[in-house]
Amino acid sequence: MPTMTLTPEAATANPAAATPAPRITIRRVITSEWIKLRSLRSTWMLVAGIVGAIVVFGLISAAVATGNVSSTDGGPSFAGSTPVATVLSGANFGVLLVAVFGVLMGAREYSSGLIRTTLAAVPARMPVLVGKLTVFTAVVLPAVLAGTLVAFFAGTAILTQSGAASASWSDPGVAGAVLGTVGYLVGIGVLGVALGMLFRGIGAGIGVLIGGILFVPTLATALLPDSWDSVLKYLPSAAGQSFTSVSASDSMLSYWGGVAVFGAWVVIAIGGTAWSLMRRDA
Amino acid sequence: MLEVRELTKKYGDVTAVDHISFTVQPGIITGFLGPNGAGKSTTMRMILGLDRPTSGKALVNGRSYTGSPAPMAELGALLEAKAIDKGRSARNHLRALGATVGIGSSRVDELLEVVGLTDVARKPAGAFSLGMGQRLGIASALLADPSIVMLDEPVNGLDPDGILWIRNLLRELATDGRTVFISSHLMSEMELTAEHLIVIGRGSILADMSMDEFIANASTQHVSVVSPHATDLRNLLAGPDVSVTSTAPGRLVVQGLSAAEIGDVAARHQLTLHGLVPIEASLEEAFMKLTRDAVEYRGTSEPHPSERKAA
Repeated sequence: MPTMTLTPEAATANPAAATPAPRITIRRVITSEWIKLRSLRSTWMLVAGIVGAIVVFGLISAAVATGNVSSTDGGPSFAGSTPVATVLSGANFGVLLVAVFGVLMGAREYSSGLIRTTLAAVPARMPVLVGKLTVFTAVVLPAVLAGTLVAFFAGTAILTQSGAASASWSDPGVAGAVLGTVGYLVGIGVLGVALGMLFRGIGAGIGVLIGGILFVPTLATALLPDSWDSVLKYLPSAAGQSFTSVSASDSMLSYWGGVAVFGAWVVIAIGGTAWSLMRRDA
Repeated sequence: MLEVRELTKKYGDVTAVDHISFTVQPGIITGFLGPNGAGKSTTMRMILGLDRPTSGKALVNGRSYTGSPAPMAELGALLEAKAIDKGRSARNHLRALGATVGIGSSRVDELLEVVGLTDVARKPAGAFSLGMGQRLGIASALLADPSIVMLDEPVNGLDPDGILWIRNLLRELATDGRTVFISSHLMSEMELTAEHLIVIGRGSILADMSMDEFIANASTQHVSVVSPHATDLRNLLAGPDVSVTSTAPGRLVVQGLSAAEIGDVAARHQLTLHGLVPIEASLEEAFMKLTRDAVEYRGTSEPHPSERKAA
């Protein structure tokens, strides 16, 4: 074993040129979270899975919608109610992966116990939440944006070429729905980060998020009388529908109303997580 | 220097740490000894600001740990060796930790060398043994060159080679003038490592003294005496600093006199002795007795004065 150097070399070799005293900064905490995220293989598998799901399922749906490719008898129809919904149908699968990715980002350290090392290093705690949300968004936003744009342009090209009903970027509401889909997916992921940290467990976070965005609204719509629709439209997924689809219906919020309600859900979740993070013992 | 003042942690009705105060001095290794569940880890978590004290405070170099611009450069800690992400390499684990205060890869590589993990630094830490996890944890504690090093059960899981290694490392840290604070539930380990001892049991400090003092206190000699004249002998041995107890007819346990002194008394009065055996209590026994007393005290139905006030 070599001689032990317990003091940084710079400090001992030349005190005058010693490195500045270590200090926590928000930028450094973000760097730390970036090192953590990029050093896990699962990160890149999930990112590839998200892009792949959005693109592949979108293109399959477009191909099926042209009628040139038929699904097996009794198989699922991927075609959506509008050409945009058809080519973006991959987002329905992508959102599950984004949700899982977000919860993993938030809860993984709680599962391993690493969170106590992290919070001991950064006792102010809030920079850790900011760092995780920043790094997660910086990775997920480009991936979802790229996947969605590829699915849209390639999907609509397939539809157009076969002469089926298609959509163009400049058509009314189309750009909004495409970009809204991107925002919805990223927002769900951010919700996942927050819920993962709030519930401190991967299972609980995924359960609440996927239950909350998929099953509760579906169940509630099926079980509750129609008069409840005016309330149900404020649920995250219902609010999301209003700015991810071209065809607005009367039972939905307006485009920007939906954006505001969905954004409020995300802000409330982040706020609750911040409050919990600052108050509870780690 | 590490100071704990009237630190208290209650979980509902349960008091895990009860108004404890102590000071850990630089330049020596201080052992924090107590049975499992005595409050060692809770105390350490409160020092690090992970758990909020119910009352009291901990001062790291004169101020709260959480108030420092770079806490890990003041106090480096190892709480749980296996609290690492299994999918991440040791090197990336340390890089991420160091990045929070601007410590770069060269210092990380230096520390990996110190703890002997260079060869496995780029492998996922999930494959690490408990001993390797301990070494990684120690590297993370030393990363920012802190003046205080606090390690929870650092010897856990290390092989004999590793135990020797960590003892030397801790001694070197103390010789450098650092404050070294290590917890253990094993007296035998502390005996070989620590120069000062803080004993905790059921959330209260039971002893805070140098190891030499503790040994001197602990090794009070008892002498076991077997004699057909036990009753006569008992009266003859009685004195202000002497305690004599009888465990069975014809058998005495004497404290406060040496075997030679007892033999002399018996000879002077022509009393037959069938046995005269000095018994030295081991440190482990002294420690167990100390903590057992605490358990018994807290186990009575009588509520603790502070709890009675609260109720």
